Amino acid sequence: MSDFSIPRSQSTPAIQGKWSEGVLSMQGDSYPENSYELFHQVFEWVERFLQDAGRPLTLELHLLYLNTSSIKAMMDIFDLLEAAHHAGQPVAVNWHYDKRNERVADLAEEFKEDCTFPFAIVGF
Amino acid sequence: MEPFDLFSMREAYNRQQIMLCFNGPISRSLIEEIGNALRNYLEADHAHPSAAMDVFSVYIEMTQNIRHYAAQKGWQEQEAAATVVIARDEAGRYVVSAGNMVDAADGAGLLAKVESLAGLDKAQLKAIYKEQLRKPRDGSASTGAGLGLIDIARKASEPLLASMRPLNQDRAFISLRAVI
Repeated sequence: MSDFSIPRSQSTPAIQGKWSEGVLSMQGDSYPENSYELFHQVFEWVERFLQDAGRPLTLELHLLYLNTSSIKAMMDIFDLLEAAHHAGQPVAVNWHYDKRNERVADLAEEFKEDCTFPFAIVGF
Repeated sequence: MEPFDLFSMREAYNRQQIMLCFNGPISRSLIEEIGNALRNYLEADHAHPSAAMDVFSVYIEMTQNIRHYAAQKGWQEQEAAATVVIARDEAGRYVVSAGNMVDAADGAGLLAKVESLAGLDKAQLKAIYKEQLRKPRDGSASTGAGLGLIDIARKASEPLLASMRPLNQDRAFISLRAVI
């Protein structure tokens, strides 16, 4: 199917979806006023991948600060992964964070609490 | 018109340890630019990365809430005005305050909500935050769907303070203050 890539802006992360590799990556801060504009295309890509690709999907996240509307949008994406996991599809999240900022780990930890698929929080 | 006494304004800002303040119509790009300045100040101030992120986060949630409110009311850009102050208190803690014009009835609702949050401890705040996160969105999907205020309360080191002053029959000015 298709790859997609969104460049980073002041208030939005860089995002890359690689269909053939089964990897979705995000780097940076996310605090747009309207997170739906940004995340609906990510949501749709993940939804399509889980339906059509027939391969494992891994999220490689280097996200830092998320405003609450981005948190809500990420939760929707994790819910898709959770449903796929329950349907027996291999999915995983690796959330990378700088150990000097434990807030990022706290944020990742709160998402992880609601997920039963493999979810690693990796300090560097 | 009386000339501005910039010197005494400066004295007052310094005395109250105000790092940054703003008053006027607040646009999406202005929120980002002031946010950028805030991040630079916090870094120059040697704030711990976690504290800096909490201050930035509270600033973003407060100002975006004000923008979402004005948009939801169908107000013009000029009416999406905010008064924002970021300062340090005597103990060196960061204090983020923001105020805006509201319909008096909405202001009363916000005061009641702030009061109800004030009685909750961190674990209880987390529980209602998660509950709110799980609620389906109503109407437009653009906002944090009521998460902002709870998130601010979770990041604050003491209960939030809100106050309201009437402007006229229908409208009031509401102020919200969070100590990080």
